[in-house]
Amino acid sequence: MKLKQAVKKNKELFIKKWFQATINTYPAQSAKFLGKDANRFDNPVGATTHETIEDVINLVLDDFNQETLEKALDPVIRIRAVQSFSASEAVSFVFALKKIGEDILDDSLIREFDTLVDQIALASFNKLMKCKEEIFLLKATESKRRIHSAFERAGLVAELKEEDLLGSKKS
Amino acid sequence: MSDEIKPDELLNKIDYGPRSDKGPGNWMDTSVQIRPGMYCYAAKAESVETLGLPNARPWNPLEEDWKLPENWQEILHQGMKERLEKFRTFKVFMDICVRCGACADKCHFFLGTGDPKNMPVLRAELLRSVYRNDFSTAAKILSKVPGGKALAGARPMTMDVLKEWWYYFFQCTECRRCSVFCPYGIDTAEITIMGRELLNLLGLNIDWIATPVSNCFKTGNHLGIQPHAFKDMIDFFVEDIEEVTGVNVEPQLNKKGADILFITPSGDVFADPGTYTCQGYMILFKYLKDKYGLDVTWSTYASEGGNFGFFTSHETMKRLNAKMFAEAKRLGVKWILGGECGHMWRVINQYMDTMNGPADFLEEPVNPITGTKFENSKSTKMVHITEFTADLIKHGKLELDKSRNSNRTLTFHDSCNPARGMGLLDEPRYVIQNCCDHFYEMPPNTIRELTFCCGSGAGLNAGENIELRMAGGLPRANAVKHVHEKYGVNSLATICAIDRAALPTLMDYWVPGVDVIGVHELVGNALILPGEKKRTQDLRFEPLPGFEEEDDE
Repeated sequence: MKLKQAVKKNKELFIKKWFQATINTYPAQSAKFLGKDANRFDNPVGATTHETIEDVINLVLDDFNQETLEKALDPVIRIRAVQSFSASEAVSFVFALKKIGEDILDDSLIREFDTLVDQIALASFNKLMKCKEEIFLLKATESKRRIHSAFERAGLVAELKEEDLLGSKKS
Repeated sequence: MSDEIKPDELLNKIDYGPRSDKGPGNWMDTSVQIRPGMYCYAAKAESVETLGLPNARPWNPLEEDWKLPENWQEILHQGMKERLEKFRTFKVFMDICVRCGACADKCHFFLGTGDPKNMPVLRAELLRSVYRNDFSTAAKILSKVPGGKALAGARPMTMDVLKEWWYYFFQCTECRRCSVFCPYGIDTAEITIMGRELLNLLGLNIDWIATPVSNCFKTGNHLGIQPHAFKDMIDFFVEDIEEVTGVNVEPQLNKKGADILFITPSGDVFADPGTYTCQGYMILFKYLKDKYGLDVTWSTYASEGGNFGFFTSHETMKRLNAKMFAEAKRLGVKWILGGECGHMWRVINQYMDTMNGPADFLEEPVNPITGTKFENSKSTKMVHITEFTADLIKHGKLELDKSRNSNRTLTFHDSCNPARGMGLLDEPRYVIQNCCDHFYEMPPNTIRELTFCCGSGAGLNAGENIELRMAGGLPRANAVKHVHEKYGVNSLATICAIDRAALPTLMDYWVPGVDVIGVHELVGNALILPGEKKRTQDLRFEPLPGFEEEDDE
């Protein structure tokens, strides 16, 4: 309870520092642009990152579980999953929270805070894997959906049905 | 003297370009990392061979050795020299950029990938740095002054630089959004076009371009579909449309003496959901034939509107484009009507006339039904179908039942080339709004001239680079998501075959629940054909609004 109160008290600072640390995972010159407080349509990565970080902080101050945490992390992980980061680089921004916590919070709270960060990190790994799986599935089914299905309907080819391939998504 | 900073040391401290986060040093010294998911496979040797283009051989971008001719640097130098002399724009664009950075954050690939080398200014700088080293007199003089080398930004052509060219010139969709913001009007697409043309001198194309080009050269379309299969698909559409409307809309193929030749990208005939747009054209032509006697023919020879030669070299673009006028001449039509496509229209609108014209054997296009002169097509003799249909609607010549599309809440994605390459902005919107009731625009900084690319144009709609495509399409998807959440938009209308192929996947990843639809699919659903039966299904065999239950039974 004490931890939540302490984080709540410093919420704006947490958001600001965590956002900056996340943007700093990009090359310096890109970070300059992505960190700008621009119109959300001119800077989707910056805006989405900021919103997600705010949502996650708000969520952990409230009641949360693995599912709601993954949902809150989705927008930013979804972006980082396609940005030629390695898996560890993609979720590294979560671990930046530990240092931020150390700077802001009282020493007595650090252990509990680190446990919280670990929970966020685990949820991030889950989300990253799910995004990667989605990408692989889209890659596997796209060409079939585009060209094969038209030919299939025309009766020019007869092989696996589209549903057979897409079935794995539903299950 | 000894504790003072020397001029070149001082200049080296100026931060004039993006630096790597891997340590100090400037961007020009950082060698490229070719990452899976971001690049397209190398061109197959046989596809390069078909067109007689240089250095056809199997190669792999991930391997050290790209199997280049021994004198590759000389070939590039000579190639660049020829093009600087031949293309005035290229020379001007190499010289006038002041690196103001106005374009830097306007590129969808930069915004989506966060890779600084995708800033248009830097992508151009990849070429410009070599230009300064090899050709610019000012830069040559400057490099002799202490510190001048850094100021000139020149570097010699090395294997690392070549690899970087290849990686980044195939991370640009030639969409030209950056050029809208350039105070000098530098068209970065043209720089990419030149970059790719130079790479092709060494046989460094990607397969998603080279094989369609080869197919198109051999059989007339990118997918390599032969005339009988083309006809089979059209016949199949006739059957489907008859099932939905009760009317046989069989079109004319290769008819000599027809009034109008219709050419559309082969994606409309062979790839979903473009196939439904194709059926929309067929319904429209049948309607116009029955009501007004309009005489339109399709061609199995000019069976491709698109032109991937445009992404290879000027010469290749010209060779593929030639069949449009050739077929119009052979069939003896009056003018040409073109389907919904993107880059096809940049080729037609900006290059066809000078490449393969003048088409003095054709007439200046006039709509025989309304009498409208298509002034925009006076010279090319080729009219965009949304301009044609918008004109018909404006003159009250089409009977449209909007309610058949009332289950769709639409937004419109301006395709880069029709929007920025020919100023076709209002016609598609006019057609959409006459075919359906619920239409919402995306935010103003993401549409019309400022439209964000789908991220898969200019030959980059492959499977292996899907991460690049999803990242590049993020700014577009982000705007769609906004109208999806705010207004319940469930359909993204577009007038480009690549969009129709690329956007469904983009939507699946970023905004599930949004369908992609061609503008003439909406027309096909709404248009009331003479003698049609009571329609209960749309062209996708989905129940029309109000008939959902009937369908369940």
